[in-house]
Amino acid sequence: MSDLAISTLRTEVKRERSAFGSLRMVQTACIFIIALVVVSPLFMLVIASLKDDRFQILADMGSFRAFWVSNPTLANFAEVGNLSGELAFGRYLLNSLFILATTVGAGLIVNSMAGFVLAWGSLRGRALILSLVIALYVIPQESIIMPLVIMVSRAGMTDTFAVQIVPWVASPLYIFLFHQFFAQLPKELFEAAEMDGASVFRIYRSIFLPLSLPALATVSILMGIETWNQYLWPILVTQTDYARPIAVAIATFFGQDSIFWDRAMAASVLMMIPILALYLAFQRWFVSSFVGSAVKG
Amino acid sequence: MMGKRLLSMLVASTALIAAHAEAKTVIHVMHQGDPGWVATYGEVAKRFEAANPDVDIELIYAPHDAYNEKFSAAVMSKQLPDVMELDAPFLANYVWSGYLQPIKPLIDQDILDDMTESNIAQGTYPVDKDLYAVGLTDSSVVLYGNRKYLEAIGARIPKSVDDAWTREEFEGYLEKLSKLEGVKWPIDTFRGYGIKTEWITYAYGPILQSAGCDLIDRRSWKSVGTLDSDPCVDALTMMQTWVKNGWVVPQSSGTNQFFAEGHPAALAFGGHWFYAEAAASMKDDIVVMPLPKFGPKGASPNGTWIWGITTASEHPDIAGKFVSFMLKDKQFRDYAKEDSAYPGLKSFAADSPLYAAGGPMAVAFEQASKTAVARPPHPAYPMITSAFMGAVDEIFNRGDVKAALTAAAEKIDEDIEENDGYPPFDEQQ
Repeated sequence: MSDLAISTLRTEVKRERSAFGSLRMVQTACIFIIALVVVSPLFMLVIASLKDDRFQILADMGSFRAFWVSNPTLANFAEVGNLSGELAFGRYLLNSLFILATTVGAGLIVNSMAGFVLAWGSLRGRALILSLVIALYVIPQESIIMPLVIMVSRAGMTDTFAVQIVPWVASPLYIFLFHQFFAQLPKELFEAAEMDGASVFRIYRSIFLPLSLPALATVSILMGIETWNQYLWPILVTQTDYARPIAVAIATFFGQDSIFWDRAMAASVLMMIPILALYLAFQRWFVSSFVGSAVKG
Repeated sequence: MMGKRLLSMLVASTALIAAHAEAKTVIHVMHQGDPGWVATYGEVAKRFEAANPDVDIELIYAPHDAYNEKFSAAVMSKQLPDVMELDAPFLANYVWSGYLQPIKPLIDQDILDDMTESNIAQGTYPVDKDLYAVGLTDSSVVLYGNRKYLEAIGARIPKSVDDAWTREEFEGYLEKLSKLEGVKWPIDTFRGYGIKTEWITYAYGPILQSAGCDLIDRRSWKSVGTLDSDPCVDALTMMQTWVKNGWVVPQSSGTNQFFAEGHPAALAFGGHWFYAEAAASMKDDIVVMPLPKFGPKGASPNGTWIWGITTASEHPDIAGKFVSFMLKDKQFRDYAKEDSAYPGLKSFAADSPLYAAGGPMAVAFEQASKTAVARPPHPAYPMITSAFMGAVDEIFNRGDVKAALTAAAEKIDEDIEENDGYPPFDEQQ
């Protein structure tokens, strides 16, 4: 190859690298801007929670001062962290955590079992049942909420933890998600275990469930967010502080006449932490589940 | 042997606790409110229990924004409380539906004698003219101004309800303020409260009444021909023009632009409760003025959250005793005063320097006796307010004024017709 040809090739490579570099820079800038848009409300929330003057928080909103605190204080967190008294926010947070853990824990078991049986069980009319389950998904929660209130009050369940857990454990969406996941696993797995004499429950527990980490993570996160953000239902079925979750308690700060931004922000930060931790703990499987679904169609 | 003794002791003590619990009368009290009020109600309940050891007060809290949903759930599940806090304009609907009982025989006479006219009006059911609810407080809306801006445009500052701005003066000042340096918006009408609260009907309804019309005809109880009449169309066209001109703080900018950094809004059409927040930030720069006269007469809103006793109560006498106790409780009144609460009892007014003659909010209290107009006391009120709020929202988003008001009026009349005129309201002329 002549010197001229080598020189031309080098120039070409340099030009391509430069174009590629510019593209990378644009991509990085775009990612940075999107990340900034997503993170800035959370950042503003945390900053506001460290300010002790609710009027100042309100006055700062809409300007860059919303992203700056000159005298940070944890006083708001101290006020909303109490475990007793008229507004025991620490207690509400613990209530929410208990409801979250129990609903998600029970939900994983019930929905995965139902999904497995619909995918691999010997139940007659599985396809019809699955269609009915999917049909149930289109019914909005709001449309059945009042009949449900009457049912639980007649059953004497109002103002309990159970009333906030039991109605939401089984979900058509999560049964369908598990069904789809289990149905994609190789048939040979089921048949081999069956030939070895394993019962259906044993096959579910020892073979299919350990393989379904991405589905478990996805359902945990989606169910966790749904449970954590429940607002109207706990208002309707709880009367006292005994079993009330933090989402209802935070609404106290948004009064008829004024809004207590300082404590509302601190309570919101506290409320955000558990669900963020849940997402971070499961995000690897959560993402892989979505990627897997996309690839497998 | 030891085990049996322990078991019998356990059974005996359980029986004792059960007997003790049974001996107590439980009064359920449903309320809303911010953390300060929630804590105050809790303390009042404790003091009442200390004075009445045979009574347990169980407080049921529901957030302000979800109070109606909570109330509906309580009705449907037959779990109405003994005492309930209610928004005054919903009283007619609750009484008509049979949820509330007359309160006069249950409340101490000195409290009844102490009520202001406006307070009596907000708790009275128009059919039998009986009192069904009582409160320590009432409410009003005034026009707040930024002194510096008003002086800069040479605006006249009214001192009493009688010399309130006329519509021409008011709109003239809005135009001047829109051109003044430092003013981003001439007025905040608190669109930021949104359409989920009562704000639009509560605060903008008096603009219609001042202009010479109303949400509904209060004799025939028909909305078509009243809400979509020329004065109402004209009044809302005027408000739509303010919005179109960019004179009004948009809904997305929140409710703090009057006292936010740089004071971008020059005037604020705000509730009495706004004073504490605004004055804390603006100090001497705040001016409190009566609402402008948009037509032949002045009009201002009234009504707030008051206390009623439900028909489901098995112990209405004790429930009434609790309400009387609360309204007289010194710490309860002190907290209300701190919160710049608008007096609904004469003794509370005398004890509230903010609203007394010469006080910074005296003009607000003056409005109660001179221009206050209650929202329509009719069982169809939930539909009246929801239809009107929807129409105003459409109008502020550049909808056709006449069409929006006609649609709202028709919706209201349809609701009344569907309920056979809500007898005996259909007989009232």
